[in-house]
Amino acid sequence: MNPVLRVTRLSKSFGGLSALREISLEARPGQIVGIIGPNGAGKTTLFNCLAGLYHPTRGEIQFQGRAILPQVSEAKAEHIQQCARIFMVLGLIWLPLFWSFFLPDAPFKLELMLLGLFILAIRFLLVQGLMRFQIWAWSLMFVFLLSDLCFSIRWLTPPFSPVHLVGTHVPLGYFSWPWGLVAGPFSIYLMIQLWVRQGRQLYGFRLSPDAICRLGMARTFQNIRLFFNLSVLDNVKIGHHIQMRAGVPGALLKTRAQREEETLTEKEALEWLRFVGLEERAFDPAGALAYGEQRRLEIARALASRPKLLLLDEPAAGMNARESSRLIQLVLKIREKGIAVLIIEHDMRVMMNLADHIYVLDYGRLIAEGTPDDIRSNSKVIEAYLGGGAAHAEA
Amino acid sequence: MGFRLSGQNHRRLFLGLVLLAILLPWLPLGASTNYILRILTTAVLYMILALGLNIVPGFTGLLDLGYVGFYGIGAYTSGLLAIHFDLSLWLILPLAALNGALWGILLGAPTLRLTGDYFAIVTFGFSELVVLVIRNELWLTRGPMGLPGISPPSIFGHLLTRDWEFFYLILLLLLVVLVVVTRLQDSRIGRAWFAIRENEIAAQCCGVNLIRYKVTAFAISASIGAMGGAFYAKWFKFIHPDMFKFWESILILCLIVFGGMGSIAGTMLGALILIPLSEVLRAVLPQGLFSARYLIYGLVLVLMMRWRPEGLIPFERAQARKARVAKERLKI
Amino acid sequence: MENLLEYSSLFLQQLVNGITLGGVYALIAVGYTMVYGVIQLINFAHGEIYMLGAFLAYTLVAILGLPFFAAFVLTILICACFGIILDFVAYRPLRKAPRLAALITAIGMSIFLQNLALMIWGSQIKSYPREALPDIFFKTAWSAGDVTLSWLQVFILSITVLCMAILHLTIRRTRIGTAMRAVSQDKATAALMGIGVNRVISFTFAIGSAMGGMAGILVGLYYNAIFPTMGYIAGIKAFAAAVLGGIGSVPGAMLGGGVLGIAEVIGAGYISSEYRDGISYAVMIAVILFKPSGLIGRQVREKV
Repeated sequence: MNPVLRVTRLSKSFGGLSALREISLEARPGQIVGIIGPNGAGKTTLFNCLAGLYHPTRGEIQFQGRAILPQVSEAKAEHIQQCARIFMVLGLIWLPLFWSFFLPDAPFKLELMLLGLFILAIRFLLVQGLMRFQIWAWSLMFVFLLSDLCFSIRWLTPPFSPVHLVGTHVPLGYFSWPWGLVAGPFSIYLMIQLWVRQGRQLYGFRLSPDAICRLGMARTFQNIRLFFNLSVLDNVKIGHHIQMRAGVPGALLKTRAQREEETLTEKEALEWLRFVGLEERAFDPAGALAYGEQRRLEIARALASRPKLLLLDEPAAGMNARESSRLIQLVLKIREKGIAVLIIEHDMRVMMNLADHIYVLDYGRLIAEGTPDDIRSNSKVIEAYLGGGAAHAEA
Repeated sequence: MGFRLSGQNHRRLFLGLVLLAILLPWLPLGASTNYILRILTTAVLYMILALGLNIVPGFTGLLDLGYVGFYGIGAYTSGLLAIHFDLSLWLILPLAALNGALWGILLGAPTLRLTGDYFAIVTFGFSELVVLVIRNELWLTRGPMGLPGISPPSIFGHLLTRDWEFFYLILLLLLVVLVVVTRLQDSRIGRAWFAIRENEIAAQCCGVNLIRYKVTAFAISASIGAMGGAFYAKWFKFIHPDMFKFWESILILCLIVFGGMGSIAGTMLGALILIPLSEVLRAVLPQGLFSARYLIYGLVLVLMMRWRPEGLIPFERAQARKARVAKERLKI
Repeated sequence: MENLLEYSSLFLQQLVNGITLGGVYALIAVGYTMVYGVIQLINFAHGEIYMLGAFLAYTLVAILGLPFFAAFVLTILICACFGIILDFVAYRPLRKAPRLAALITAIGMSIFLQNLALMIWGSQIKSYPREALPDIFFKTAWSAGDVTLSWLQVFILSITVLCMAILHLTIRRTRIGTAMRAVSQDKATAALMGIGVNRVISFTFAIGSAMGGMAGILVGLYYNAIFPTMGYIAGIKAFAAAVLGGIGSVPGAMLGGGVLGIAEVIGAGYISSEYRDGISYAVMIAVILFKPSGLIGRQVREKV
């Protein structure tokens, strides 16, 4: 069967700190994949990259056969550099044209000269920003491209009009025409690039977390992120958000479709609560639940979006033996539904009982992978992490 | 406030208040009837404004400091439409609301991805710019000379001139706004908003597109503010840039903080208590001190945040009540 | 050369005025940025301390008859104390509260103080009586062609530069400066290292308020107009300057102040003087939208 998730050489660094290095992994439908590693190994960072909260530095993520991480390839990066250089050259030629056109009649000559230089300086900064893929440079580009377009239209004066290049007797048209004919189309081209989807990919835009959720990936969090002031049922209903359609008109007019949708949502939310065993607490505020119950609620909320892949970040943290047994049963039930599960856990008993395949991370690098038995006896893993724990993990 | 009302008693209290409101102009209050009606009309107007503002910090958790900008836009839209085109109130109200929503979207789309502090400042800057434009663009708004002579509204040809007529009109508007806000709160959108307020990151990972929902909230909030402004222009019949100072935004913020951010009943209660209070102050204080009445509002903000940040009727209380009602309904 | 001077005298005069104004904005902006650095709160009431400085100096000089420089020093001290009290009363109880609550408190304090000043001093614009001020302020220090630099401007510029230099040295070289930097990076760890976090925060408020109050006196002197709402306009402009330079960065606030002052004066001169304030708002909105970390500042990442 085709993998639901395929991660290829994923890397993430924060400034100088390298959190993930060339991670590659796979998950198939109905498979439970475990991620283990010492604290700080980069496990949650990996989840955040998958869910779209962090922007990976390099690598590829394919979810259900679709690339969710548009990358700036070498060719595209080179293309951007070229565009930036052309933009700068156009700016350099623009300056004397600007002066020639406006200086002769201006009351404030010095100021105008300085203004021209100032604008050139900003163009220069923009080029720097462009070369480094900075978002602010892209947004500001638009303004400059628009102005270049306007100038080029304005300056396509007849070649023998009385305007001369500043300080000379050369008709300005000889310079403004070539400039206009290049700057105009170039501006239009680049403006289109900025808005078409390819442009968005070119400049490093990526899928937002909610778009990834819509594709079928749901997650829980290491530090519980519930909506504590809302009721348990409401929390799950929010999880069901993407499966609903009602918008402002539906809500305001209380159409039949909207009312039916609300009833169905409520029913399904109660179903999921029953699935995780929290049905009696449906109307209590989420903040009033016990710790273990809160973790189960997070799982119910994630399941309500009917995901194909579920990311569980330390679901057994803080649970006692009975609760974690219950959790194991719950995750097995989830697997029965055909949902692939990616699970980070420190509790070895839970991990060994659940995982079909385990990946081991240390300092952001993949140091081992295999079945639980392979991992248990892998010397590198024991050295990095399990230590004496291996002896205590029971089958 | 420690008393709890069951679903039954809640309904009775509500109906009682509604009845009182409807009968108010006919009660034997003697010569001060009109005065009281005017105060209550102002209070209900501010209730509407507060309900509008409540959507942004109350439902989505972002601080909007520039609400008066939309109020001003609505008032001037209404005033200018009335003076130049002599449109009826029933056309002006939706047009002003639309204009407000438009500006809400224009302002919100680029700014709502900012963090809370920056967003607050940007909204403040926007409202200041609005006032600056109103004050300086004389060709449009007559600037500091104000916009006098706005015609009063008319219904089926009958001109509204009496205080009780305006009172009923604003009650009608309140009803509309209440229906809108309540229905939004109890729907998929309302839940998404609350999710954003409680925990943005979790909301995102549940599939809530932050920008879209924040902009929607902002636009709806702006349109309600504009509608309030439109009513104000037609009621007061004269508008002037000084009526839309930043301090008005603070006053409205104060109403919802005092009443309970996020809770509809709290917001209304806040307006009902604080606006008549300012009238009491006007009667009691000498003229010089009265213009400093915002001092009290500032103090209220500080004290409320210190001692009862959840307000008179907390948001959590409203949620708990809703849950109880749902539980009764499903008999679990 | 004369031609150049003739062409550019308007521009150069604007530049001189702009740098002077910029210095004042920098003084206020530094207060905002330091407080934001240590407690991550935009102290809306900072503008009111600036206003208070102006009013106090005026009261001491014009009403109580103190000599100017004595009043100057006294006002700065009072403002510093006031900053400490403000933190203690309004912000310290809310250290652990959510951001929204602290922000609302700051706004509430700002409104409260503005109206308090309104009540105490009335809404009429106050000016210093000519005799109360040292004569030298009104003499020209230097002029070339149409460009003049008055002693008052020299005074403002030199005080500003002096304060910036002292502040910079304090932050970089002294123990308390290092403590301030530590607290602004990680409060919890700083506390564990034995730094009295609350004391450092009070100190930050004291310095910021002293400089803000100083700026108030200087502006009151320069424009000779003192009124209760002067604080909130200057406050927003200074905040714009702080954001422009990069909120949380003191050199950034200095740079931002200078740039904003020049931009405002030039804009008011060449574009439109009614929208003078609007220029600051526009700059602020543009910076926040396009480059929120400002010219020098650093990005802060939230732990997911």
